[in-house]
Amino acid sequence: MTVLDIQNLTVQFGGLKAVNGLNLQVKMGELRCLLGPNGAGKSTTLDLICGKTRATSGKIMFDGTDITELAEYRRARCGIGRKFQVPSVFKELTVIENIEIARSRRPGLWAALSTFRTPIRGRVKDVLDRVSLVEHIDTKAGNLSHGQTQWLEIAMLLAQDSKLILMDEPTAGMTIQETLKTAEIFNSLRGEHTIIVVEHDMQFVRQVAQRVTVMNQGSVLADGSIAEIEADARVKAVYLGH
Amino acid sequence: MDALLNQAFAGLSMASILLIVGLGLAIIYGSMGVINLAHGEFVMLGAYVAWAMQTFLGFSILTSLPLIFVVIAFVGWLVERGVVHRLYRRPLDTILATWGIGIVLQQLVRMFIGPESRFVATPSLLEGNTVIGAVVMSNYRLFVIVFALAVLAATWALMTRTEFGTRLRAVIQNREISECYGIRAEKVYAMTFAYGAGLAGVAGALLTPLVSTTPSMGTYLVVDAFLVVIIGGVGSLIGTAVAAAAVGEATALFSMLMNDTLGRIAVLLAIILLIRFRPNGLFPQTIRR
Amino acid sequence: MNRTNKYDFLGYIAFAVIILLGVPFLLGFDGFELNTFARYLALAMVAMALALSWGTAGLLNLGQAATFGIGSYVMAMHLKLAASTNNPGGMPDFMGWTNVESLPWFWQPFHSLTVTLLAGLLLPAAVAGLMAAFMFRGRITGVFVAIITLAFMVALQLVFIEEQRFTGGQNGLTGLAPLSLPGWTVDTYSLSFYYLVAGCLIVALLLGMLVVRSKVGLVLRAIREDASRVRYFGYDVASYETFVFCLSAAIAGWAGMLYTLVLEFASPTYMSVSFSLAIVIWCAVGGRESLVWAAVGAILVNLAEGRLSDVFVEGWLLILGLVFILFVIFLPRGLYGLALAMVDRLRGAPRTDATLPVKEG
Repeated sequence: MTVLDIQNLTVQFGGLKAVNGLNLQVKMGELRCLLGPNGAGKSTTLDLICGKTRATSGKIMFDGTDITELAEYRRARCGIGRKFQVPSVFKELTVIENIEIARSRRPGLWAALSTFRTPIRGRVKDVLDRVSLVEHIDTKAGNLSHGQTQWLEIAMLLAQDSKLILMDEPTAGMTIQETLKTAEIFNSLRGEHTIIVVEHDMQFVRQVAQRVTVMNQGSVLADGSIAEIEADARVKAVYLGH
Repeated sequence: MDALLNQAFAGLSMASILLIVGLGLAIIYGSMGVINLAHGEFVMLGAYVAWAMQTFLGFSILTSLPLIFVVIAFVGWLVERGVVHRLYRRPLDTILATWGIGIVLQQLVRMFIGPESRFVATPSLLEGNTVIGAVVMSNYRLFVIVFALAVLAATWALMTRTEFGTRLRAVIQNREISECYGIRAEKVYAMTFAYGAGLAGVAGALLTPLVSTTPSMGTYLVVDAFLVVIIGGVGSLIGTAVAAAAVGEATALFSMLMNDTLGRIAVLLAIILLIRFRPNGLFPQTIRR
Repeated sequence: MNRTNKYDFLGYIAFAVIILLGVPFLLGFDGFELNTFARYLALAMVAMALALSWGTAGLLNLGQAATFGIGSYVMAMHLKLAASTNNPGGMPDFMGWTNVESLPWFWQPFHSLTVTLLAGLLLPAAVAGLMAAFMFRGRITGVFVAIITLAFMVALQLVFIEEQRFTGGQNGLTGLAPLSLPGWTVDTYSLSFYYLVAGCLIVALLLGMLVVRSKVGLVLRAIREDASRVRYFGYDVASYETFVFCLSAAIAGWAGMLYTLVLEFASPTYMSVSFSLAIVIWCAVGGRESLVWAAVGAILVNLAEGRLSDVFVEGWLLILGLVFILFVIFLPRGLYGLALAMVDRLRGAPRTDATLPVKEG
């Protein structure tokens, strides 16, 4: 079943079409990797899905609803979560407070007025265990190391428990061990969540990807399994230059 | 109809003063992101220096203008080095600190010079009127208009035709990278702030023959100048000039058709609506992030 | 949640005890002194209201005095009507002088005490709510919130001064009757009146602290840091911001009502730029991040003004301005930040830097 259906999506910045007539379908529970040279429009595609950027034309269907014109927070409520390329956590808040923000089952004002603390059990405990931040729950996020900050943002997305998770270079700046562990987490999420990952690290892509989409100049260049993509002449040409 | 034309001319001369004040404000905001709420007090200080020069040394404002520019620029430099440069990454705190500075400057003047109004004479060289048709134009006001245009041209040349302007524009684009190329951003900022302050001082001096000089004279002016900056958009000198003309003329018309209070309210509402609906006039050009 | 909670609560209890027991005792139960201190407490309340939006969400409302002023006028209208029952048409004296024919419709409801008390809270909240929705739906942040609120307040003050027939203009509303509550005519120089004001402040602080400690407070702090990131977690940022503005305005209006009772008149200076700046100064001195400390800041600055402005008649404003600039530069977290740093040093814990700026959005 298709959960995300992007139809003929275009966005224009001045004279530049960053995304140009993009068509992309992602199935429920799939882990899709987006590859492509710099400026291919990968991050912009994620921006368009989560609402950071508005489309010039085209349509985004998520779970049967047209979300093209929805505000960011409404898309989040529909079940779309986003991890940014530069780790975006709340540096002034502690780790557990970051998780509390992310765990937004009831994001309304009135519900929040009657909530005073989130107990550290169930999913919250589980998530913190997974990213090994349990001992650091009272640390200010600003005092975490770079790797830990990446983990925290991943943990926040897990706590948010979105149907569709958009990850922009989740392993950037991580050590090899950390990358391996991230791959492990991703593999365990498969099936439960639908994930779209933008990544440059081919090692990582090989470990997690079922299906890979290669973008170039704002539209899909090739699409298939990792083996098919690595054999594709057009992809090679794009990466090596014309 | 004659009354209207005369009013339009008066509006144009006020617009010229607004242009000089607004240029200073816009340059400081555009280059450092600092909304300088003490700008009105720089204007006021300029006026008081002009008054002091005339009262104690007998200089007319024309002779004093260069000195006034230098003195107020120096005050601006002190304010930048002493306070503003410590607050660059805290825009809200800069508003508060410059507001505090405004209060201190006003109070100092009130204490040491006195709260009463002071008067400065029109330079004898510029007394008299030029009459074209039914429009009576005082020579002094004509001079102010010409002078403001000259300031505009000089500022444009400074920004685009000098080494300093190039450095400033580089720092605005990217402070860190500019510093890698040996530009001392701190110094550029201080000079920019000083230049903006100096312009405010000159505007204050030019105002003295037109309005009475009081410690709070800058407060009203800075609101109008702020409106000019919002309308004109940052980084566009021509925009600032057009906006100054528009605000000056509009205020002149308003005060003729309605009373002053309604005019003030209209200006304030214009500020609110513009910030809300045309914020792009306020920000540097949006680029893809 | 975090460590500072415990201190905040202890600080709150200590503050309440001092206000309720210590101060009346120290002032020797003197009616005049109690009245003066009640005035400081009303001002502490508006400072705390500002800290609610500024300290928590980073939204600096430079027009806070506008909502305070509305509250004070609401109360003054009620008391003015009570003082005008013997005038022709029951109209306030100044309306007679300016040839107003009959009591305007928007004065009518203020005959009722219940309507007055409700309006003193809800009217400021509604005005602030409209402003907030107008700004925050358009995603206005940072310095532009400050400028818009300031411009709005100045415009409002101009209207109040201009419409002299209905508002008393520059003179404001004077010659008010004392407030009659069921079974109690308020004597503003009595201990019971002091306790009325002190009680209001303590309840308002508790209310504010509950909100700050709830998830709403957490979301607001997150908004201060990165509003757009909060949106991607599904929160409607504008409604949170609007809520905190409304709450802050309601408390400011409440404080304004008390202030009118204390001073026995309402004046357009209550919604002036300089009064609004004063509120900001109290908050900055006390510490914008803590409601209790903002209140303490207001009390301390006003105490100092009460003592010093006789000595330095001219210079007080100068001193205040300089102190304010120094706090903004060197102690941006105010006395609260200083206290935190001292507690940490005593405990040998990692040091909190009192001079570190508060993060802006």
